Amino acid sequence: MFRVTIEASDGGSGSTLSETRELAHGDSLIFGRDPGPGGVTLPGQGVSRRHFELVADAQGLTVTDLGSTNGTQLAGVGLGSARITTGQRISAADTSVTVRYEEVEAQTAPVGPQSRYITPATPENNGLPPDIPARGTVDVSEVHTGGRPVSEIAYCAIGAGIGSFVWIDHLRCYGVHEDDIVAIGPEDIPYATYARYCANSQIPDHERLRSNSASTPDNIWGFPGYALRESVTTGNPRYAFQVFGEPTLAESYTPRAGRVFRSFDREMKRINWSRMFRKGLVQALRKTSDGRYAIYWRASRDVVPEEQRNQVTLAKIVHVSTGYPATRFVDDFQDFLGRHPEMRSLVANAYEPHEHIYQKIESSTEPVNIMVRGRGIVASRILQRLSEARARNPNIVILHSIRSPIRGQQGAKYGWARRPVRGHVELQPFNWPKASWGGDVRLKYENADAEERGRILSQLGGTTTAERSDWIAIGERGGEEGWYRAIFGSVKHIAVRGEKLGIDIKTPDGFDQSFEADYLVDCTGLVADLSRSLFLADLLNTYELPQNHAWRERDGTWQPGPRTGLEVSNAFEIEGLRNGSGRVYAAGQVTAGGPYLAVDSFLGLQYAALRSVDDIGANRLTAMRPIGPARSAIQWLRWCAGSTP
Amino acid sequence: MLPTLRGRIETRLFLIIVVGLPVTLLYALFVGGLPYDGGLLLMLLGVLLALLVVGVILDPLYILIQRLRWDRDWPFAYQFFFSIIEFVIVLSLASLEWIPWLDEFAFQRGETIRLASFHFAWVFLIGFVLLLGPLAVLFVRWRYKGGRFGRL
Repeated sequence: MFRVTIEASDGGSGSTLSETRELAHGDSLIFGRDPGPGGVTLPGQGVSRRHFELVADAQGLTVTDLGSTNGTQLAGVGLGSARITTGQRISAADTSVTVRYEEVEAQTAPVGPQSRYITPATPENNGLPPDIPARGTVDVSEVHTGGRPVSEIAYCAIGAGIGSFVWIDHLRCYGVHEDDIVAIGPEDIPYATYARYCANSQIPDHERLRSNSASTPDNIWGFPGYALRESVTTGNPRYAFQVFGEPTLAESYTPRAGRVFRSFDREMKRINWSRMFRKGLVQALRKTSDGRYAIYWRASRDVVPEEQRNQVTLAKIVHVSTGYPATRFVDDFQDFLGRHPEMRSLVANAYEPHEHIYQKIESSTEPVNIMVRGRGIVASRILQRLSEARARNPNIVILHSIRSPIRGQQGAKYGWARRPVRGHVELQPFNWPKASWGGDVRLKYENADAEERGRILSQLGGTTTAERSDWIAIGERGGEEGWYRAIFGSVKHIAVRGEKLGIDIKTPDGFDQSFEADYLVDCTGLVADLSRSLFLADLLNTYELPQNHAWRERDGTWQPGPRTGLEVSNAFEIEGLRNGSGRVYAAGQVTAGGPYLAVDSFLGLQYAALRSVDDIGANRLTAMRPIGPARSAIQWLRWCAGSTP
Repeated sequence: MLPTLRGRIETRLFLIIVVGLPVTLLYALFVGGLPYDGGLLLMLLGVLLALLVVGVILDPLYILIQRLRWDRDWPFAYQFFFSIIEFVIVLSLASLEWIPWLDEFAFQRGETIRLASFHFAWVFLIGFVLLLGPLAVLFVRWRYKGGRFGRL
């Protein structure tokens, strides 16, 4: 936790302000003329209603401009988002804000940017408030006399991200009333975390996501898809034709990020999301003696007074979709940050805010070496951003660190087919082969046992990027012109060399090579370790829930490796939590390695939602019944009309 | 599309029954008027049956082609192209007297081929448009089931 001292003064009117706030990791603080409950009201003309926000994580504070009219500057430089050190001055129009902060509690969390989703669990702190019972089943009367305000509901979604949204969208289309559903989570809008990851990994609203036309989290039928909608609203038929020809005759259609977000907005309004949403963090879940679940949670200070923040909700059907517990660097990177915290601004994970790096290299006229690590789609985006930065500073040289070269005939093999390769990168339109979502691969994978699933997963998985002619051109043109260089080998060590980073690499044929770089952007992704989430770690321990495993081939046999997601049934039920007619379902990354490959995708979330909602109906757990053709068609017409389900 | 073999056959049967039959009845009415021209109707129904048989025989071949594709998918463009190929095969077989329920002499005449082609165009285009998405409006689980109907 940080104690933050804020001093603001307005150059125009001369009015000043001084405040002290405490920010836990994951908390944010909004500054502006009218920042809303809990925010800091800034004096001065030209300050926008919500001007900028400070977000705290394990490393410190990040300031992000909230689309203000006059912009936000840090040390005189305009910014989107950047880390600040204590004592730095932020300017919002004529108002200057000095922020000093200090750690006020022993910080034991591992180094690395934490997801804002969930407080990380630490060994010293099992973190649960003392009033939450340690045993697996609690008496309902005990819940009522426990001192927390109690609310009762039929359906409760934990996470309130895209996974929860899609599940609730299905419930609503199946006829469940909005008053019977709540979603508890830390973000006001379900796509907030996703949008932040997109923005950080260089997908602005006009760029396209790696998702297909019919993967529509705002529409349970996948029709009309994003391509048809884009063709209709732009009057350009090429998007619809792209779907007709993809992936063989045309590049696969992918929707613009901004269009997808706006479609969420529309559907949120239609199903009345704001009425179902409760802002807060779930602490724990317990079975109750009457076949339900007690969900202990802490409401956000934005919405309730401090003393009422701990609450409990009793629900019959629960859905867990909390996303990635944390972002984590690879070990050598983590190790480097531990030794050299002062070099923090030179290295970044692609999913954390790192706009300051682009600003620095674009405003410089000196030669800049920047190393990009990884070969997935995120690396492609970062390379694209860097090639754009070269328009402003042609002295930027990109070193692209890739573990090993891949030649044309070395792509992954499955059955008779082989994944295509171009420029040492395996190509695939989406993050799994398409048939994983609904074709024979889905069927085969679902019917397989744990070992067979592990084998299919490892054969079809792996890092890939989309075949985009502009991305391929970056590598080819950059290679010819000498500003792009692929470096093969595994990173052994990162050190400080003068003002720069020294990176030692062991090449595939065993040589040691050393490189100097001014910046390093790690695109090796998010790590999903369930135990890093306080809530999930407690759930796993209390109920001894089984987990899936990644499988590896060793000496000709397949063996279970590291633990991955929660074990769930084919209907995405966490069977270890069954309680009479009460059920807990899950979706998204927390079910990795389970009955479906592409769990972490829009369409995968839709599939998981459909399976679990059908399961509730088929087992007559509530009054809701699965929809057939007639009800489905009526609901679809309501969607088209924009009227409530 | 991401069809499986059973999904292909189920979707094919569904489209023949739900689209093919009504379109055939309407088309025969439009061309021949009332009362129904029995010979024309039987000929069109015979073509429909031949399309179904040829399609079901070719389906395993399509599945083989899918297996050669890394994504194991079936682009809409392929669906479009091979549907027309199937009709060409039916016409050829009919004119060679290889389809016992069709009169081979009829299919050596331009008039019959023209009638059958327009009939096919209607049946095919309506079915194809349904495959592009509208079918999922009625059958919300269909797209995950490789083209099969019913529960997941």
